[in-house]
Amino acid sequence: MSVKDRISELRNKLREEVEKITDSSLATNFRNKYLSKKSELSSISSELASLPPDERKESGALLNEVRNEVEELYNAKLDEITLKELNERLKAEAIDFSVPGRDSTVGALNPFYIVENEIIDIFTKMGYEVVEGPEVETEDNNFTLLNIPSDHPARDMQDTFFLREDGLLLRTQTSSMQVRTMAEKAGAPFKIICPGKTYRRDDDDATHSHQFAQVEGLLVDHDISMAHLKGTLELFLKSMFGEKREIRMTPSYFPFTEPSVEVAVSCFNCNGKGCSMCKGTGYIEVLGAGMVHPHVLEMNGYDPKEYSGFAFGIGIERIAMLRYGIDDIRRLYTNDVRFLHQFTKQVK
Amino acid sequence: MDVSLKCLSQFVDLSGLTPEDISTGLTYAGIEVEETRPLAYATKLCVGEIKECELIPETHLHICKIDLGSKYGVKQIVCGAPNARKGLKVCVALEGCELLGGKINHSVIRGYDSEGMCCSILELGIDKKYLKPEEYEGIIELGEDAEVGSEDVLSYLGLDDYVLSLSILANRPDLLSVINIAREVGAIFNRKVVVPTAKELATYKTDFTVSSMTSRCTQFAAKEIKGIDNKGESPQWLTRYLMAMGVRSISPVIDIGNYVMLLTGQPLHMYDRAKLKGHTLIAKDSYEGDFVALDEKTYKIIKGDICICSEDTPMCLGGVMGSLTCAVDSDTTSVVIESASFDGATIRHTSARLGLASESSSRFVKGTNHFQSEFVINLTSELLKQICGANEFSQRLSYQSETEKVHEISATYSDINSRLGTSFTSDEINSALTRLYFKVTSKKDSFVAVVPSFRLDISCWEDLSEEVGRLLGYDNIPSVLPSFEAAIGGVSPLQEKISLISDLLISKGLDRILTYTLLSAKEDAFTSFFDNDSYHIKYPLTDDHEVVRTSLSHSMLKAISYNISRQNKNLALFEISEITSRNSYKHHLCIGLANKKLEQSLLTTREYDFYDLKGHLEAIFHLLGIEGSRYKLEENKDVKELHPYRSALISVGGTRIGYLGEVHPSLLSRYELKNNKVLILEIELDALLNMKVSPSKMEKISRYPSVTHDLAFIVSKEVSISDLCKTIKANSNGLVIDTSVFDIYEGEGIAPGSKSVAISVTYASDTHTLEEKEVTLVEDNIKFELYKRHKAVLRG
Repeated sequence: MSVKDRISELRNKLREEVEKITDSSLATNFRNKYLSKKSELSSISSELASLPPDERKESGALLNEVRNEVEELYNAKLDEITLKELNERLKAEAIDFSVPGRDSTVGALNPFYIVENEIIDIFTKMGYEVVEGPEVETEDNNFTLLNIPSDHPARDMQDTFFLREDGLLLRTQTSSMQVRTMAEKAGAPFKIICPGKTYRRDDDDATHSHQFAQVEGLLVDHDISMAHLKGTLELFLKSMFGEKREIRMTPSYFPFTEPSVEVAVSCFNCNGKGCSMCKGTGYIEVLGAGMVHPHVLEMNGYDPKEYSGFAFGIGIERIAMLRYGIDDIRRLYTNDVRFLHQFTKQVK
Repeated sequence: MDVSLKCLSQFVDLSGLTPEDISTGLTYAGIEVEETRPLAYATKLCVGEIKECELIPETHLHICKIDLGSKYGVKQIVCGAPNARKGLKVCVALEGCELLGGKINHSVIRGYDSEGMCCSILELGIDKKYLKPEEYEGIIELGEDAEVGSEDVLSYLGLDDYVLSLSILANRPDLLSVINIAREVGAIFNRKVVVPTAKELATYKTDFTVSSMTSRCTQFAAKEIKGIDNKGESPQWLTRYLMAMGVRSISPVIDIGNYVMLLTGQPLHMYDRAKLKGHTLIAKDSYEGDFVALDEKTYKIIKGDICICSEDTPMCLGGVMGSLTCAVDSDTTSVVIESASFDGATIRHTSARLGLASESSSRFVKGTNHFQSEFVINLTSELLKQICGANEFSQRLSYQSETEKVHEISATYSDINSRLGTSFTSDEINSALTRLYFKVTSKKDSFVAVVPSFRLDISCWEDLSEEVGRLLGYDNIPSVLPSFEAAIGGVSPLQEKISLISDLLISKGLDRILTYTLLSAKEDAFTSFFDNDSYHIKYPLTDDHEVVRTSLSHSMLKAISYNISRQNKNLALFEISEITSRNSYKHHLCIGLANKKLEQSLLTTREYDFYDLKGHLEAIFHLLGIEGSRYKLEENKDVKELHPYRSALISVGGTRIGYLGEVHPSLLSRYELKNNKVLILEIELDALLNMKVSPSKMEKISRYPSVTHDLAFIVSKEVSISDLCKTIKANSNGLVIDTSVFDIYEGEGIAPGSKSVAISVTYASDTHTLEEKEVTLVEDNIKFELYKRHKAVLRG
């Protein structure tokens, strides 16, 4: 058999052998057997020197062609099985992605705080300063300096927790912070909000609580009118309950504001058409407000001829209950974790 | 206050206005209408006459053939009322009639068809409390004059009325009067108002006198009236008005007194003249002793209470309740009527002290018009004449220590507009005030308004702005945002840090809770550590609300207990709250952990332990930029509520600011937490939040490689890890940059009282690459010192 024929025969054989490679150890065997220096290809190559030049040239070219082809086939095969083997290994490493993630627990914020934080955010964006003050107050700060003199019927309106110490009580309203703030600001214009706990002698039930919280707001400056109050509360209520809300002011009475208003927002459940939530009226009362009473300004060192201002008081629990459909105010204070975990901050 | 719409319509033209219109108008003007309801409710009634009435044997039921006139003919109705009888005119609810109790359908009773129902007054929705038994036991007996076939039965019965339930604001006691509500409605709808007038009736001169010896009664008007017949019943219109306004009919004289009070707002008192001993009634506040009131109870009167006395005997606890001894009854033939003004605060104190309140006392507390007695007395006299046949009237008796002053307020139109933010014209403003009975004298830019005497709430021009605003409508006020120059707002650094801590703990999986400030005095766990000089409620009404808490731990344990009793066993909670004692106002943080930490749902769980709490504490210090060297944990010998060997006190700069640890097992049962593992931490935050922290500045990171060696040794249990690490660092010639514990083991293979500790020690230099020799030298020194100081023996 001529060298050329042997090469051709070898080519056919190697083509078959390559196909038999199915894993990486067979591949190594193949390489050692057919592509090493001791392989048949190498021994034929060493024989070429003894051939006549013409034949040598021809056979040499053929041999190179075969070697290249086999190496190519081999490399392709090797890539194929490496990939196959990698895939097999990865498959064996398969996980169940439906198993819960590790350490994924995020704590819950009592919805009371979600609402409180949101109110604070809205007003701080409007440039309000957030102040805080004591829950144990003097009768003067809680009543007298807010235009509620002793024996005023308004002191009957709110049953107060008086303390053993004469003249001290648990504040019945965050409005006491109006007095403290005006004393501190000593005649300069300001705008503040004051979130805080307040207390009244009430029997706890689904809608009453002896402890509740308010956010008091107070702005004192020159030439402040009810239009400013309306504009401010409209912006607040739209931020809180949505762009489409409209506000309604109806007359009310608080001893420390004149005029006093009750502010209602168009019902976010029925969009003002009337439903059980708004008792068919289309509006839900959410807060009380008014223009600071001239006596209050005067008693606290602001000349009512020069200054005017507005004040408002927002009930945090009420807003939380409305927003989240909470049926019983006590839920906010008993902290059942199944309750706490139902609420997330609403991203608008 | 409940108002009868029919009664109201006597004084103001309501034509064309529905009860809903009136309700909306009043609400927008500040008189909130809580409810509008018909006095009686039935849709399809008819007057019928019983033509035949036969008892069904062995029952109490009658089969009645009832003539209902030409439209409905004769119908058969089964009726169980004892008073059903032939010839009686009755109120029939026809088939399809809707009553409060349901709809009337054709039915078959005991085999007899029944095509409707004969109604009792209760079935029309009238409350028993307004009725005498004979009025509601059995069906309604209509009079002879009732027209058979007439469908307007409610109007025949005087029940065709609507009731408006008004919520009257505390500054508007004048609106506890139908006449003043009529004025308000007239102003709102711009309708004609007719205030009743009454002429003085005087037929003889009496020697009876009235006066006051106390400044708490500034005005006392009266009249002696004779020839009264109080035996019968009040006319239907009067009982119906009273019923609609929530008052029970008692006797004509008393009903008239109540009616006049409802119309005018002025409480009246009626004395039986025959039962008064002397010829005088004097208001005093010096009486002391027992008083038997109309309710037949005895009350202790003290100095300061207002008594109306006859011959030094109190006949009336002024403004609150009359005496039983001179009460009007059916035999009364002559009366003295009293219309007085009493100091509201005095009435409030008396009423509260005695636990005795009446319609009268509540009106005096809120405030009454001191200058309408003449009208009130005249109106009452007129009605007594009309209804009770009174025929002898004395002259009007009067004591008055104050005179009515004209109350004028001046303002400019621009004052009003600038307060409201509106641009109402002077005409609009004048008209609004005039409609509300202010007498307005207008100049060019300003005006003077005379306040009507019944408006007790108006004292300054700002009050006028409210009147104008509410009458012209707050909807007319534009929305404007105030331009405010000094607008650098925001939260204080302390508030900001608190919210950072809150965010941190939430991201670490803890839930933020909110609990009550007031506690029972018995709930004294964890009160000894912090300043516990607490505020106490003066007159606690319940055990639960006695003390202002000085620590949060008790509330935390209650929250944990509440959850665990509801099968929420695994808990991580925290609360941040203000804490007030008699000496201070601070912020506390409390963390409570119970049972297991769920790391991957239920796949990996482990029990919480001390180090979970400590980790949270360290994270907070880290967050606030407070270095570890600035706080210390110390042995807990103070807080007995904690496990003595698994707890510590937290101290900063030598001051103890809190504690952390496992709750003592003996305390758990008090909270129904037996067999639960509960850990608690409480710390005064202000000390941390106010700590000065040096601003962060970059430190160079060594560019030379570090070397890490592990050291393992056996040491006595008592030696703390932090002491071991300190010794290592202190004796390393500055080459140890970090130590971290990676194993602590006690138990099998280790001698009792000892533990095996493994610490990973990292060496590095800022100036050069460390050589092996150098490290070995330092390490030998460390080993030597560990042994010398702590008897730590190297393992393996």
